[in-house]
Amino acid sequence: MSSAGQLKSLADHEEVFRLVFEAAPNGIVVVNDQGKVVLVNRQAEGMFGYSREEFLALGIEDLVPERLRGAHLHHRKGFTREPSNRAMGAGRDLFGRRRDGSEFPVEIGLTPVPSPQGMLVVSSIVDTTERTRTENELRRYAAELERSNADLRNFAHVASHDLQEPLRKITAFGERLRTHSSGTLDTKGLDYLKRMTDASQRMQVLIADLLTFSRVSLQHPPCQEVDLDQILRNTLENLEIAIAETGANIHIPQPLPPIEADRSQMGQLFQNLLSNALKFRRPGEAPEITVTARQEGATVRLQVCDRGIGFEPKYAERIFGIFQRLHGRNEFEGTGVGLAICRKIAELHHGTITALGEPGVGATFTVELPRRQPSASPS
Amino acid sequence: MTQARTILILADDDPDDRLLTREAFEEAGFAGTFQFVDDGQQLLDYLDTSRESLPGVILLDLNMPRMNGYEALSELKTDAALRRIPIIVLTTSNSSEDILRSYDLGVNSFITKPGSFGELKEVAKRVIDYWLGTVKLPPQD
Repeated sequence: MSSAGQLKSLADHEEVFRLVFEAAPNGIVVVNDQGKVVLVNRQAEGMFGYSREEFLALGIEDLVPERLRGAHLHHRKGFTREPSNRAMGAGRDLFGRRRDGSEFPVEIGLTPVPSPQGMLVVSSIVDTTERTRTENELRRYAAELERSNADLRNFAHVASHDLQEPLRKITAFGERLRTHSSGTLDTKGLDYLKRMTDASQRMQVLIADLLTFSRVSLQHPPCQEVDLDQILRNTLENLEIAIAETGANIHIPQPLPPIEADRSQMGQLFQNLLSNALKFRRPGEAPEITVTARQEGATVRLQVCDRGIGFEPKYAERIFGIFQRLHGRNEFEGTGVGLAICRKIAELHHGTITALGEPGVGATFTVELPRRQPSASPS
Repeated sequence: MTQARTILILADDDPDDRLLTREAFEEAGFAGTFQFVDDGQQLLDYLDTSRESLPGVILLDLNMPRMNGYEALSELKTDAALRRIPIIVLTTSNSSEDILRSYDLGVNSFITKPGSFGELKEVAKRVIDYWLGTVKLPPQD
């Protein structure tokens, strides 16, 4: 069998090997057992700035920064005594020295090759300047992010105490004023007072909700194997009063599967979704709520479905924004933080949450979470 | 110990909170004496000069200048003569770290300041009923 592409002679082989050697993406420098350079490829020329002729007059230590030459010589002698393959990246913090004396970070793989001329060592060299720069940038970015997260945590703390403080006093002294001066205030005055204290109480709730949101956003949840069924039962106990008051029927057709997640955040997720389903019920009708969760491959798909007032499909995305409300304060209470918290929780668990709704028909919230958290260490 | 002779110390540097707390306790029926201090250091100084008539209960804010509630708490709970005085932390915080840290330091009760005066009065009523009515406080000679 022969074809035009087949290599016919030794000379053909040599030519192909030469071409491969020259075309290699890495710089290649071959040295003899004395450390003298005996062969280089084109990449190495470009990398170090020496011509081929100049290279052949060099020892390998000439390619190492002066400050590191002593150590390099020591390592090289060790390597010559016990040669073995050393993979790329095995050496840490290696540097090359260019002809002009400048340094650049490198990664080097070493391969000993016995030959008629004695032991040759093939060094395969990658200039990691760009990668090192990117890594440093990433490190700096991560540090900045950590700092700004710390600032945010600090802000949340300040918000919880310092912003709440004056509001608490406005509310309290408003009450005192009402108790003490209701005889001297006329109807209008009392109405103003009531509006003032109502507003400050709303602000208290707003700040408390915002605080919950920021706490959730800033926490990296410690995930473990949790029983969604148990968490749902606890949530239903918490909502006992609201369920009794609205006469709601909660259907759970199948037991919920276990999942790797943060227990308290899963509780919060159920709490917010179920409170929503209870709140946005059709007037005069008992809420019918169905909760399902199924494992589908590597994903757990959780759904809370109600037959409440629903919403216009065009709002399906907007309702997850913080402080987004579709109804006036007179119709439904709330600050518009609940679903934003749900989305945050889904995202922190590397999952998603979506909503489907139709006015007057109902709403379905679907949360898809990985069964196991990608970064979680095996327990 | 009759309530009339009971001294209640409030360690809190906020003048509004002092006023509200005092009024809440008075309206809730507290008949003893109120003593105010601004911070932990003032609290320790006051107790040092009144070893003969120690307070029945100390209401302690956590966030105070100079010496905060934690520092005061650890001083008080390691002092053989003062450790018996019941200390109630009364703070805006409801964070679990603050609660745990306070109990670790030996606090007897932790109460988060409620958002309204009505609730504060309710809290005062319960504190009076429990600490000045139900429980036996350490006897003083």
